[in-house]
Amino acid sequence: MTKPPSILICDDEADLAGELGEFFSACGWHTVVHTTAPDALEALHAGLAPTCLLTDLRIGHFSGAELVAATRRLPEALQPRVYCIMTGHVVESTEAKDFGADLLFIKPLDPDLALNDIQKLIPATYNA
Amino acid sequence: MWPSALCVVTMSLFFAVASLYVFHTNRQTLLSVEIAQSSQIAFAAQLAFERARSSLEHGAHNPAEETVEDSRARLVELREDLKPLYESRPGAFLQDMTGVRDPIRRYDGILEGMIRRSFDLGADGTEAGHELHSWLGTIAPLGQTLKIILDASAERSQRMLEDEHTSAFRAALLPFALLFLSGTTLIAVLIAESRRNRRRLEEVEAARGDVARMEENLLAVIEAAPTAMTVIDPQDNSISFINAAAGMMINPSPDHADWQKLTVTALQVARAGEGNWSNVKLTFTRGNGDVIALRGSLCRVLWEGRPQLLLVLLDTTRMRDADLQLLQAAKLATLGEMATAIAHELNQPLAVIRMAVANAHRLLAGGGERSIIAAKLDRVTTQVDRAKRIIDQVRRYGRMPSETGETFSLRQAIELAAGFVAEQYRSFGIRLAIQLDIPADLTVSGEQAIFEQVIVNLLVNARDAFDMQAPQRVRSVWLRARPDGERAIIEVEDDAGGISPDVMARLFEPFSSSNASAKGTGLGLALARSVVRDMHGQITAENVRNGACFTLLLPVAMPRRVREAA
Repeated sequence: MTKPPSILICDDEADLAGELGEFFSACGWHTVVHTTAPDALEALHAGLAPTCLLTDLRIGHFSGAELVAATRRLPEALQPRVYCIMTGHVVESTEAKDFGADLLFIKPLDPDLALNDIQKLIPATYNA
Repeated sequence: MWPSALCVVTMSLFFAVASLYVFHTNRQTLLSVEIAQSSQIAFAAQLAFERARSSLEHGAHNPAEETVEDSRARLVELREDLKPLYESRPGAFLQDMTGVRDPIRRYDGILEGMIRRSFDLGADGTEAGHELHSWLGTIAPLGQTLKIILDASAERSQRMLEDEHTSAFRAALLPFALLFLSGTTLIAVLIAESRRNRRRLEEVEAARGDVARMEENLLAVIEAAPTAMTVIDPQDNSISFINAAAGMMINPSPDHADWQKLTVTALQVARAGEGNWSNVKLTFTRGNGDVIALRGSLCRVLWEGRPQLLLVLLDTTRMRDADLQLLQAAKLATLGEMATAIAHELNQPLAVIRMAVANAHRLLAGGGERSIIAAKLDRVTTQVDRAKRIIDQVRRYGRMPSETGETFSLRQAIELAAGFVAEQYRSFGIRLAIQLDIPADLTVSGEQAIFEQVIVNLLVNARDAFDMQAPQRVRSVWLRARPDGERAIIEVEDDAGGISPDVMARLFEPFSSSNASAKGTGLGLALARSVVRDMHGQITAENVRNGACFTLLLPVAMPRRVREAA
């Protein structure tokens, strides 16, 4: 039995976070959107346990990498299966693992390609 | 002093001598008159005596009635001519001279007796002859006395005149001597004074010659100087003089209209300096359209004996162009450093657009509501405008600064500069606290784009100062502005630890840096100082609390409406 995947989106750019949430929702994902890292971390601590965490690299004065690191310190059951980081900076020879993430998306990202990349990493038990 | 005193003495002596001369002349005249009258009296008496004696002798030898009558008449004449000798003032004078007074008066009675007796002499000629002969003997002593008086009178008169001359000469001798002495001294002093004056005149003439030659040399130097020098008559702002450099710079003819335009502009922009000097900095458009940058000074001078204004100008166009090129290079360097931040700033709206378009496509394909699709399109429009603002900001920042300074809103310029680095600060996690306590219509004079570059440089320097700090440290930069009388104070303060003393000492020198990261051109603060000075302001730096604080003092420009009203 499969269950719908879920995604926690965190970006201080509210419009972008909203559009991303709308996109993933339309694709059958359960979507939670936050515009600050503390709010997102609080949701994770509360047991949200999303399939995917998609966060901006710079969230106000907070670093997306720090959010990823904090999330990875959660109990296994509360951790997402896939960690994704977005950034608007032009980064060369930088990889997702530099930020402790599984995927690195450069803004403006192609949502279909991003969805495809994410889906490749989630277990078969999750299907939108 | 001495010539004046001598003049007074000489004049006094001259008047004294003149008074003596007049006195003696008058006295001599009176004496001469008196001597002449006494001599005349003595002579008349002597003449009358001789006539009487002659008549008596004739009567004594030829006694007759006619001769007796003639003798009587002569005796009457003699008696009348003797009276002045003892009755008149000249007669008294003669008596004083000779000492004979009574003998003469005594003959008045004798002669009276003879005259009466003559009437008694009848026709008897013998008796009459004897009588007349005896009378001759009677009056003979009178004749001797009168001769003595006449001789004494002549001799005494001669002696008195000689005494008078001598005494007059003696009386005048001392004043004459003093007059001669003072006059000679005065002449000597005047001659010495004249020689000294002549010597002084020669020295003055020589000095004038030196001054003339110096002026000639100075004029030649001014004429040959590579700096444009112009003398302006403040009465009507006309041009009194231009040197060759000024002629080449503006126009060889001082009557050309460009000169009037330049003069008016220079007098308007001249700012009060120290003493008689005023600083002048202006741009001027030549007749052919070339815009040249001029810098110099205006001062009061004495030219051709009249107070006039000397305008000294240097064509700084090339230097100014070089400065502007340097500024531009610094700006482009800053732009290069900020390229990543700018790209991120642009990617934000692009990312939103990309997602909104994707969602709109999906809605269209699924027959979504038009209002939702329209909202997506509005969002796209908003983000396009946002991107445009970013690009405009970059374009505005990157354009070549001009040299046409004007007044601009200080608040707007600071906000634009802060906005340019805001995203970068956000990316670096630096809190930028902006506190602008100045009204939007507070203006300063200068070139706004260049001033914005100064603020951006200070903010970028503050950002770079944090690169050496621990990443977990809370980083803040304060950008403040407030009015202070006729000035505005702008402060850029960070808490990045401050500037080391050795760097602080040469902070505003070219190729000096406030941070050790070796970022930038090393010209930012030197250019900032140059720009602020051009705006007639000051820029200083000091370490405060946990960091460094750069303070700009700028004179507030008079608002346009106030300036026009003035």
